[in-house]
Amino acid sequence: MRSADYSRLTLRTLRASRMRSGLTILGIAIGICAVVLLTTLGAGIRLYVLENFSQFGSRIIAINPGKSQTGGTGGLLASTRPLLVADADSLRSLPYAEYVVPVVQGSGAIEFGRRVRYTDIIGTGSDMASAWRFEVARGRFLPDSRGSYPQPLAVLGHKVKQELFAEQNALGQFIRVGGERYRVVGIMAEKGQMLGFDLDDIVYIPVQRALSLFNRTGLMEIDVTYRPGIAADAMAEQVRQRLIGRHGVEDFSLITQDEMLQSMDRILAILTLAIGGLGGISLIVGAIGIITIMVTSVQERRAEIGLLRAIGATRRQVMRLFLGEAVLLALVGGCVGILVSGLALGGLALAIPALPIQLDPFYLLLALALSALVGLISGVLPARRAAGLNPVLALQSE
Amino acid sequence: MRTADLLRFNGRLLTGQWFRTLMTLLATAVGVAAVLLLTGMGEGARRFVLNEFNLLGNDVLIMLPGRKETSGGIPPLTGEGTRDLTLGDAEAVLHLPGVRNVAPLVVGLTQVEAEGRNREMMVVGTSPAFFTIRNIDTHQGQPLPQLPLDRAEPVCVIGPKVQQTLFDQQQVLGRWLRTGDRRCRIIGVLDSRGVSLGIDMSESVIIPVASAQQLFNTEGLFRLFIQVQHPGLIETLKPRVLDLIQARHQGERDITLITQDSLLGVFDDILQLLTLAVGAIAAISLVVAGILIMNITLISVSQRTSEIGLLKALGASEREVHRLFLSEALLMALLGSATGVVIGYGLLLLGHWLWPEFPVSVPLWALLGAITLAAAVALIFAWLPARKAARLPPVLALKGLTDAQR
Amino acid sequence: MIRLQQLCKRYQLGDEPVQALDHVDLNIAAGEYLSVMGPSGSGKSTLLNMLGLLDTPDSGHYWLNEHEVSALSEEARAAERNRHIGFVFQAYHLIDRLSARENIELPLVLNSTPPAARRPRVDQLLERLGLDRHAEHLPHQLSGGQRQRVAIARAVIRKPQLLLADEPTGNLDSHSGRDVIELLEELNAEGITLVMVTHDPAMGRRARRRLWMQDGKLLKDEQDAYG
Repeated sequence: MRSADYSRLTLRTLRASRMRSGLTILGIAIGICAVVLLTTLGAGIRLYVLENFSQFGSRIIAINPGKSQTGGTGGLLASTRPLLVADADSLRSLPYAEYVVPVVQGSGAIEFGRRVRYTDIIGTGSDMASAWRFEVARGRFLPDSRGSYPQPLAVLGHKVKQELFAEQNALGQFIRVGGERYRVVGIMAEKGQMLGFDLDDIVYIPVQRALSLFNRTGLMEIDVTYRPGIAADAMAEQVRQRLIGRHGVEDFSLITQDEMLQSMDRILAILTLAIGGLGGISLIVGAIGIITIMVTSVQERRAEIGLLRAIGATRRQVMRLFLGEAVLLALVGGCVGILVSGLALGGLALAIPALPIQLDPFYLLLALALSALVGLISGVLPARRAAGLNPVLALQSE
Repeated sequence: MRTADLLRFNGRLLTGQWFRTLMTLLATAVGVAAVLLLTGMGEGARRFVLNEFNLLGNDVLIMLPGRKETSGGIPPLTGEGTRDLTLGDAEAVLHLPGVRNVAPLVVGLTQVEAEGRNREMMVVGTSPAFFTIRNIDTHQGQPLPQLPLDRAEPVCVIGPKVQQTLFDQQQVLGRWLRTGDRRCRIIGVLDSRGVSLGIDMSESVIIPVASAQQLFNTEGLFRLFIQVQHPGLIETLKPRVLDLIQARHQGERDITLITQDSLLGVFDDILQLLTLAVGAIAAISLVVAGILIMNITLISVSQRTSEIGLLKALGASEREVHRLFLSEALLMALLGSATGVVIGYGLLLLGHWLWPEFPVSVPLWALLGAITLAAAVALIFAWLPARKAARLPPVLALKGLTDAQR
Repeated sequence: MIRLQQLCKRYQLGDEPVQALDHVDLNIAAGEYLSVMGPSGSGKSTLLNMLGLLDTPDSGHYWLNEHEVSALSEEARAAERNRHIGFVFQAYHLIDRLSARENIELPLVLNSTPPAARRPRVDQLLERLGLDRHAEHLPHQLSGGQRQRVAIARAVIRKPQLLLADEPTGNLDSHSGRDVIELLEELNAEGITLVMVTHDPAMGRRARRRLWMQDGKLLKDEQDAYG
């Protein structure tokens, strides 16, 4: 039988019992809709998180004191073998090294006149703004102190400036950081939040001054960015050797941006899959629906099937017919589901532009294929039943 | 019609069409089981986290150096403060009325060496009060001795994993190990109660706080635990502690106080929301099951047209016919829910048996919600088809015709 | 007992309107035995359905026991049907999945009668109609005649005033058919008003009062002298 005729007959059958077909289609549509919406959501979250982390650039290596990575808290705890500013300086001369950023973090009171604000204080070097791709809105970032003890200069985050200075000019003004007098030389552009951490509520001061402010000798982290032309592993190895040379042992830990993103990506991929799987539950129930309706249909149309066989249809053709019905039901359901979810996502994207929604056509095609698969699997049982009917008995049931 | 008769009437129908009934049951069961499974896991996770926090005890205040203006977010768990928390501060707090005990904390990482082996481990400098406040026991030897806070003694208590890693499970009491450039004598081994709020005590070495300060060459405390006489005093004590430190820190209020409740609150909300969301998504499948019920009921109505005509001839009113078909759908939904409940709980228990740390606890609202939803969905989706049945003109129905087929 | 006044009913059959009942007047006393005959499409089944409150007239009145029932609500009509009227159909209309006993007690079940009260009444009828051996059998295990007897039992279990039979022997062989007719007449002798639609003149002549219908009108109303 020609495929066109298969389709014609199948369509006619489904149209004849419109209500029934419609409801079955609806069930699949809901399932597919759920899967698409949830998977897109998961993909969106993944994108969002990755983007947030990538904002620091991709060719970056982070060094923390201590060997055991206690969940990234390595830098927070004290250490007997601290990472020193001198270590950071020594890394500058490595080939391909672009920027080196020593980091110490704490919090303290920032005062201007009568206004006081408790914020995060980051002690760092002149390379930070370039390395982390933070924009300086006004003035400039901290200068390179060239080995000598740095001047008491500070750079304010956007929010700190607003809170302490309002609309007043801040450049050149004197503030107190942890009781000490600093001159403001720069204001950072607004950056927003990153995973709960307010990037605008920070004051940047030279790292050596921060170390004495917080009364510690060791850095919490050293970031190294490097130029293209060398693999991440190779660069990491260079850094490692240089530091071992200085410390005698490997009492620090290295992580490349790639590694960090990879492990995060893996987690997020699993998460997306899990979320999509949740939607799949509805799809399973939808598939049960197809099976039930199709089997009932076969039962009702026994006489019809007997007739078809009597006029010469082979088992195969009968099976194809019923399989085709199931697949068609599922496909139409899939299309409806995709359409509805597309509309919903579109509406959502318009309403909340900030949401990282990306309608990946690949996912949509996948969803369509999924619905076809569902139809195929659900249709097998009823189709085989239909094909297996004894024509004589089937005709007698009229 | 009496309920018992109704059940019998419908029951015979359902068993007659057993495949159809079975599949519809299955559809509902999958939905209900999914809801139970997912909410069970979510709630279990929440309970697990809460339990962990509860070990802290609700009579404890945690003091952190540093303070952030943007409150409501994560407390400054990271980083330093400009002014150190000192042992002097700790002593002063201890003398506040209402305070039962304080435990200072200095934490760091260093090389720990013994028997020719060395590993980088966490070293915790604290006082014996820490053991009582944090409910940590030693199963060999004793906890840290009572000392004035500023006295350093070369003694230590080690976690069970340390005993394993450095000493191969041999007897350790009385032996020496080296932390960084200092030696200390082992006087106790911790109970194997592993993780507590993120800090894995099992592979750590606990020494007196003054020794730790010397070891890491730092004066500032990482944390200060404050235990109050009883939980009710916490609120009154908070401002007093803040005032005290402010006075001692030259007018700077550069500390943060956390209670177990505040930490709990954040996690609790997040996890509850998660559980709800996950349960809701699973519940969508119940709607799909409802659609199947509607479909089946429609088919049932069209197949039993002459029966409907007969029932009406015998005196069944429209309402009764309606109720008949509705109850059929409801019965299927309830049976399906029951099956789903069995499957759901079964899977959860299986998971718990395979992984005992896997907490399982289905919240009551989820259980009742799932069953109610299944029943409600069945009623809603079967309503219209049942009405169609009820409205069939008896004369036509007896002929086996519905309106449309005239 | 029954009074029909100017009953009219019109149906739409495809494009054509059909006047099924055309200003029918009829009075029936309690205990009467009527047959309704006529060509197909004459409206005899419609008349029966009217009498049985299965259908409502477009115009006219129907009094049953001095109550005007033509304008009753559906609920009320159902209650009347359950209590006062019994139907016997050509196609039996037994429920396949219920046993003979369960089919017979259906009107009582609909009425919420407790099982303890149902049982003796059903047993009595089963015995009277010679069906006690088949009490638990399903319809497909019974012969046509047995099925019709079950249907009759169902129709009379509530001791209705009126028994309406629409071609009751249509699907039966002559032997079973005769048994069924005799059973119906027996019940009539006990006081139940019997109205039977038939196209078989021999069957129709047995009734003491004979009605002929054509094109929805009542043509002839013949009554035996001793009724």
